[in-house]
Amino acid sequence: MKKNIYIIGFFILVATIANAQVQKGDVLIKNGTVLTITNGTLENTDVLIQKGKITKVGKNLRIPNDVMTVDATGKFVMPGILDAHSHIAGSAINEGTAQVTAEVSMEDVVNPLDVAIYRALAGGVTTTHLMHGSANVIGGQNETMKLRYGSTNPDDLRFEGAPRTIKFALGENPTRGGRSRGIQPQSRMGVEAMLRNSFSDAKIYRTTWDAYRANKSTRKVAPEYDLRMETLVDILEGEVLVHCHSYRADEIYMLMKVFSDFGIEKLTFQHANEAFKVAPELAAFGASASVFADWWAYKLEVYYSTAYNAAILTKNGVTTSINSDSGELIRHLFHEAAKTQKYGDLTDNEALALITLNPAKQLGIDNRVGSIEVGKDGDIAIFDGHPLSTYAIPQMTYIDGIKYFDRATDKSDQRLYINPEETIQEVSIFDRESQHRCMEDAQTLSFSDLFSNKK
Amino acid sequence: MKIERKRIFRLMLILPFLFGTLAVNAQSDYTGKSAATRTYAITNASIVQSPGAVMEGGTIIVKNGLISAVGKNVSIPDDAEVLDGTGMYVYAGFIDGMSNVGTKRPKAMPRPSNLFTPDPPNDYAGITPEIHVVDQIDISSSTISDMRKAGFTIAHTVPYGRMLPGSGALIFLADKDHPDDLILAENVAMFSQFVGAPGAYPGNILGIMAKWRNLYRNADNAMKHTIMYSENPSGLERPNRDRTLEAFFPVVAGEKPVFFNVQNMLDVRRAMRLQKDLGFKIAVANVKQGWEMAEELKQNGATVFLSMDLPDEPKESKSEDKTEEVKQLEARKMDFYKKYVSQAATYQAAGVPFGFSTMGTRGNKVKTNMMTMIENGLSADDALAALTTGPASLLGIDKVAGTAEVGKLGNLVVTTGPYFEKKSQVKYVFVDGDKYDYEIKEAKKKGDEAVDEPAADTSNEPLLGSWSYNFTTPQGDQGGKMIIKKAGALYTGVMTSDDGSPDTDMEDISFRDGTLSFSFSVDGGGQNIEILVSGTVSGKNYDAQASVEAFNVSFDLTATKDDGN
Repeated sequence: MKKNIYIIGFFILVATIANAQVQKGDVLIKNGTVLTITNGTLENTDVLIQKGKITKVGKNLRIPNDVMTVDATGKFVMPGILDAHSHIAGSAINEGTAQVTAEVSMEDVVNPLDVAIYRALAGGVTTTHLMHGSANVIGGQNETMKLRYGSTNPDDLRFEGAPRTIKFALGENPTRGGRSRGIQPQSRMGVEAMLRNSFSDAKIYRTTWDAYRANKSTRKVAPEYDLRMETLVDILEGEVLVHCHSYRADEIYMLMKVFSDFGIEKLTFQHANEAFKVAPELAAFGASASVFADWWAYKLEVYYSTAYNAAILTKNGVTTSINSDSGELIRHLFHEAAKTQKYGDLTDNEALALITLNPAKQLGIDNRVGSIEVGKDGDIAIFDGHPLSTYAIPQMTYIDGIKYFDRATDKSDQRLYINPEETIQEVSIFDRESQHRCMEDAQTLSFSDLFSNKK
Repeated sequence: MKIERKRIFRLMLILPFLFGTLAVNAQSDYTGKSAATRTYAITNASIVQSPGAVMEGGTIIVKNGLISAVGKNVSIPDDAEVLDGTGMYVYAGFIDGMSNVGTKRPKAMPRPSNLFTPDPPNDYAGITPEIHVVDQIDISSSTISDMRKAGFTIAHTVPYGRMLPGSGALIFLADKDHPDDLILAENVAMFSQFVGAPGAYPGNILGIMAKWRNLYRNADNAMKHTIMYSENPSGLERPNRDRTLEAFFPVVAGEKPVFFNVQNMLDVRRAMRLQKDLGFKIAVANVKQGWEMAEELKQNGATVFLSMDLPDEPKESKSEDKTEEVKQLEARKMDFYKKYVSQAATYQAAGVPFGFSTMGTRGNKVKTNMMTMIENGLSADDALAALTTGPASLLGIDKVAGTAEVGKLGNLVVTTGPYFEKKSQVKYVFVDGDKYDYEIKEAKKKGDEAVDEPAADTSNEPLLGSWSYNFTTPQGDQGGKMIIKKAGALYTGVMTSDDGSPDTDMEDISFRDGTLSFSFSVDGGGQNIEILVSGTVSGKNYDAQASVEAFNVSFDLTATKDDGN
């Protein structure tokens, strides 16, 4: 797309605002066991962060003037954890009324007041990928965020400079919506048809606008503007990374065929419980997978699953990450990563890459985060033990060299905004299903309805 | 608002004449309601001409709809009705920055049969910016007299609806025979809010933000096309008529502002995002949670109308063995209560001009809430300014309203003592030169609360509890109870039936900005029929439309909250 001035102007404006307000800090983390991900494990090593960037990694670094020092003796220092599939900090998740909603964007609905952000920080997470839900074949654009908790301005949580990404969904969720509303798609065949039709429409739209732009007449009339088509064109142009909700091997393979036909390359499969069946094909395409460690059987299409999924994909050369999709799981993604050592014997480095460097690659931000290297962002999690140990507890979490979580000064009430008319809530034991927001605002049919012939 | 202002002035020139003539001609009014004169003199009163400028022992003359004289030695016209103002205070009539005062809620559009949810008709989607609120004004609405009794004389009233309900108008809160008689200025602003269509696009904030941008950019293109065509149509495609896009033209041209109903902080920021993205003139109104936003709104030149509605003061638990944790949680609640009630003071301190929106506020809460804001840091002068001069200049009517000065509209509030004192009461309100007289209530023996207020609804969750509903169908009325509970953040509910039918679950319950919608299913002879209900909760009353998609019909459903819950 030969650029939409509005959109560019908007992003520049927003980026300026974000840059103007985001805090960057200096800190020297001394004498820890540094899990670099890209350069092995370094014992008794210091990490220096200046103006939000890692400037030195080495032994016995000199302390520059005015830089705070944190003693990490006996502790483990790792890159901040990334969650490539999250729905925390969103005021809305699904625009579930239409089956193609590429025009909507999660950046409009970021909710910096969600206390789940703080809980995620307390699990060492520094970056999340706030995804649109899975009610639509082509859902909304997602938002890559840094968890700068404390600010009430959504712009401050933006991962400035991160590429745009968008949610797609295959299988039961979008067909369930279609069936309940009596619209396309009602089957997996309909999903593929919608994808192909949408991109064919986008190509026509691109041609129409290209012709308009090439027209030198002063009396030319603009064609209809369509933000939905604009986004689809940007996907065709490779400017938007696609993250597709999927489970079955056949639908995963189908999407790769569709994308090959339209020349779209940047593709990550989300959930992808059957990805292990098509691992070589994924590797050949260059697609990645973001999976659960061991969560399945919550609907029919998710029965054929294995805890070896992440390991099989990794061994086949597929860039793989483990995600939470949950406000609870996000607090212990390091446990989830550790499960791949029980199921698949991944090395420490391979296991940790599943929640650091690999999700960073999938989000197109591996030049900024995901490992401890000079020049990368000062996003760090400090643990009292090895993060792949069941006994390890996160101690401190830094983003851009600023400390956003410290177990030593943790308050019992971390909410930012409080409703003065609300009765004091009783906190109950966490219900994982209630935190699962993938189909929020879109649940018009019950699970049993899905297989009835009523509609 | 240059164009609007001009229009107002033109109206100003005509209106007083019109009313004056009517009053004189109406000599043989068989109802006996007509005033004997439209000339009034309030003598020996404290006249607060503008905030901070008080004239003691002054006389003010209202003649033919205008303030014709203010001073200490003013000669009283022969035809004047003289009102002894000894001990009384006279203020300029209050101005409401945005509300639904005087507006009737139109019947909800029934869900069309075969609704294509991704692309519903504009009126179902709530995209009707071409509608004018003037067509929805109900001269008999009790909201007009209710707000007038609190001192309001002019309101910027906006239509009911969803995302883009239409254009607002400035109306007099007067008793008149025809809606036209209430109009001070029409079409003053485009009104918008983040309310999605039930089960159709745009369904929530996500779709609304995208739809807004799409509409605006197409309107921008359509306007350029229309202008080009009107200059020289030869050889140019004819622009299609599109009333929705055309309603945007004055907004795109920067002549007409957009008023957003945005109560919470994040919605204020979202409205500002659209403004920064597209560049129109903006007013954020009904703002309840904007205490952090003052500086930013000031820098962006947004017009601000704060909500007159305040939360109830939190009550601390009386339990003696309160844990430290409970004490801290209560303290934080109080902290935030203070932020809400001192919001106006925050804006005053930041030097941001503002007015108030009375949306969601009843007349009898106006003074109580103003007093609460004053107790929390707002000065009495700034409080008065936010009710008079502030909104007058923000709405572009400062030449005709906002102060008690010669030449201004005859809009006054006369109270038995300073308005911002607990015991004072409103004695007269003048609207457009007409007098409305109120009875003064004797102070009760016990307590110093002079004004008799109905008990405020103090329940934190207006929805929770048992409601008695009545559902009108062609087969007759059906009644029963709706019992609504809350589990976590989700509402659950059950409907019982008086005729002994089995209970049904209320599904998809959503409650936002006073709108409650849900669905339930009934067994229609083996076929499962889904009924969608949507309507407004005001206090203990629920007024809704129930539509049956399968048969394309809709019925009224009303409910009243049962006492004791």
